[in-house]
Amino acid sequence: MTTGSDDAAVFTRLFDAHRDAIHAYFLGRVADPELARDLVQETFLRAWRRLSEVGPLPADRQRAWLFTVARNLAIDSYRAGATHQATEASLRQAAATRATAVPGPHLEAEYGERLAQLEAAIRELPEEQRVILSMATAGGLTSREIGEALGEPAGTVRYRLGQARKQLAAALDLEEDR
Amino acid sequence: MTSQARPNLDQLLAAWAEARRLADADAARIRQAVLPADPTLSATWWSDFNARISATIARATTTPAPALAALQ
Repeated sequence: MTTGSDDAAVFTRLFDAHRDAIHAYFLGRVADPELARDLVQETFLRAWRRLSEVGPLPADRQRAWLFTVARNLAIDSYRAGATHQATEASLRQAAATRATAVPGPHLEAEYGERLAQLEAAIRELPEEQRVILSMATAGGLTSREIGEALGEPAGTVRYRLGQARKQLAAALDLEEDR
Repeated sequence: MTSQARPNLDQLLAAWAEARRLADADAARIRQAVLPADPTLSATWWSDFNARISATIARATTTPAPALAALQ
């Protein structure tokens, strides 16, 4: 028997364990940070409503459940009018400002400029590469975990991640050391 | 990070990820938005509710001693 406070505690553990991974997925998928946060909220709202089913699962199966919901929500968001083109256009408009403003005042102008270049280069990546890059960097997931979440072999994930890094390195005139 | 040391791709990606990561404040807002949005009553809500009602009724119907004395 559980109480409401027990449920809240179970939910909080679930949320804290997976929020970064889910957010990173949406960040790569829909590009628009505000929409990404909205979709994170919707994903976890559904998890809350099915907490008796999701809460007891081991972490890897919780993640699989959440990513199934997240993938469907991303598809729905496209259909609902938050189209790929619209989010891309929104991102293009705001990216330069955000890239220089978000990292913090301690960063030097040159470093901020490099981040803005990186942001622009990430925007140019094919979506499947951008999603994987975001999940690996912002989400902190391994290639195996990304593969499980996206239904792709880990080798495919590693290949796409490598391709993304090469493209970014070329765009920023950096040597790719991997 | 200094201007003399040109950041490599890993350093730039780490900074990008840090800037893009879900901020704790945003995470807290999302969590708070979810939890009250679908308030699930605890399993003991009925007995808790009854206990509070009974206590209130008991307080309201217990005649204070001075009032009893005045009635007698």
